[in-house]
Amino acid sequence: MKRTKQLLGAVSATALIALSASPAMAVGTTAGDTITNTVSVDFQVGGVDQTAATASDTFTVDRKVNLTVVETDSATTQVSPGELQAVTTFEITNLSNDVVDFDLSVAQPTTDDYDVTNVQIYLDDGDGVFDAGDTLITYLDEIPEDATVTVFVVGDVPLGQTTGDVAEVVLTADSHAGGGAGSLGTELVATTGANTAGVDTVLADGAGDTDAANDGAFSDTDSYTVSAADVTAVKTSSIISDPVNGTTNPKAIPGAVIEYCIAVSNSTGSATATGVDVTDSLPGDVTYLSAFGIFVDGTVDGSGVCQADGTSGGAYDSGAGEVTGTLSDIDGGVTRTLYFRATIN
Amino acid sequence: MRKFFKILAISALFSMPLASPVAAQDGQVKITNSVKIEQVSQSDSGEPQVKLVDPDVFIPGGRLIFVTDYQNDGAEPATNFVVTNPLHSAVRLADDADPDLTVSADGGTVWGKLSELTVSSEDGSTVAASHDDVTHIRWTLAEVAPGASGRIKYPVIIR
Repeated sequence: MKRTKQLLGAVSATALIALSASPAMAVGTTAGDTITNTVSVDFQVGGVDQTAATASDTFTVDRKVNLTVVETDSATTQVSPGELQAVTTFEITNLSNDVVDFDLSVAQPTTDDYDVTNVQIYLDDGDGVFDAGDTLITYLDEIPEDATVTVFVVGDVPLGQTTGDVAEVVLTADSHAGGGAGSLGTELVATTGANTAGVDTVLADGAGDTDAANDGAFSDTDSYTVSAADVTAVKTSSIISDPVNGTTNPKAIPGAVIEYCIAVSNSTGSATATGVDVTDSLPGDVTYLSAFGIFVDGTVDGSGVCQADGTSGGAYDSGAGEVTGTLSDIDGGVTRTLYFRATIN
Repeated sequence: MRKFFKILAISALFSMPLASPVAAQDGQVKITNSVKIEQVSQSDSGEPQVKLVDPDVFIPGGRLIFVTDYQNDGAEPATNFVVTNPLHSAVRLADDADPDLTVSADGGTVWGKLSELTVSSEDGSTVAASHDDVTHIRWTLAEVAPGASGRIKYPVIIR
C-alpha cells in the first residue's frame, strides 16, 4: 500500500522533469508547463552532517495572448476599375505562449472613397503569391507559438471609380482557444481574480488600427487605390501635295493628298491603357489612299505634330468608309498615333 | 516501530500536492518555499512600501520573487548551513538581483559572484557569464542558532 504510493510519487516527479525540459521559445515558456523551484539545505549539528532538508514549490505557466497583424505589400494596392480579386497581403504572427486560433474579419471604413465588393480571405499556400493553391478561410486554425502566416484579402473593384479613389480594408484577427484542429475554439478572454491552479489567460496584445490593447485582437489597414487610364484622342490633318503645286505649299484643292493623324494620349500618372482600338469614319468628299496604307504606333513631337515613324497596320473597310487600327499598350504620359492618307474628291 | 514511522513520513512527503509549499519533515531544520511578487504601495507618510503578495498570473516575462524561509527547530545550533537552489530552466535570474549572490553558471561546479564567472559562448570563446546563464544560487550561513529563523529571496523572470 505505502510502496504503491511512493512509486506514484516517483512517476509524477519524472513526468514533471520531462515537461520542464522543453526549451523556452522566443515568445516564452509554453502555457501549461509547470515550473518547480526546489531548495535543499545541507547543515551540520555538532559537527556531523545531517540529512538535507528540501522544499519545493510548483506553479503552472499561464497563457499570455499576444499577436500582430501587419500589411506587408506596398502601402496601397493599385487597382483598375472593374478589376476582380484585387489583392492586399497581411502577415499574422502568434506571439502567444500557446497554440491559438484566430478569427478573421474584414471591415471597410465609411470615411474612404468606395468599398470593394465580394471580400474574401485566403490563406497563402507558402509562396507568398495569391494563386490557385491558396485556401478560402474565415479563421486561422491551430497557429503554433512564434508562427507567422500570410493571408490575402481580395475584393472586386466596382466599375466607374476614378483615379485616386481609395478603398480601405481593415483586417482584424481575434484570438480563440486552440487545441481543436478543424474548428474555431472559444474566444479567449482574460481570467479575472486570483491565480488558479490551471492555465489562466492574460491578454497582452497591443492596440491595432481599430482595436484596443489587451483585447485579444489586433488589426491593420491596407487599401486599394484606383489608377484608371485617362485616354484622349486628337485628330489632325495636313495637306501633303496638290496636282498644281506638288509638295510645295500645297492647297486643299480637288486631287490634293491629305494625311489624317489620330493621336491617342494617356495622361501622366494614369494606368496603362490596353486594347486601344481606333476607328475613323472618312468624310464623303475624300477617298482613302490605299497606295499609302495605314500606320499605327507612331509618335508625336513636342508640339503634338505627328511623326512619320509608325509601323504598317490597321485596315480599311470600303463598305463602311472606316479606317480601323489597334494600338499597342499606352503607358501613362505616352501618346501613340494612327495615320493614313486620302485624296480630295 | 521506528522504521514504520519513517516510511509513513516519506510517503506523506510524496503524496502531498506539489502546488502547495512542501516543508521538510525530516530533522530539525524546517524550510518552506514560496513564490511571490513585489507589490509597491505608498505608506501614510508617502514612502514606497514593498509587500510580497501571491501572484495572480505566471506569464513569460513576468517577474517573481522566489522565497525560502528556514527555521532551526532543534535544540542544537545548525552549522555550515548551505542553502542550494538550482534554477529551473524556464526561469532566469532577474537583472536586478543582488550582485553579491553566490551563483554558478555551469550546473554547480564553479561558484562565485556572477561578475567573476565565465561561460563558453557558441563559437567556443570564453565570455563573462550573464544573468541568463545562472544555473544555481547558494547561500552559506556559518550557524543558525536554535529557534532562529530567516528568509532568503531573489528575483527571477519567467522565460
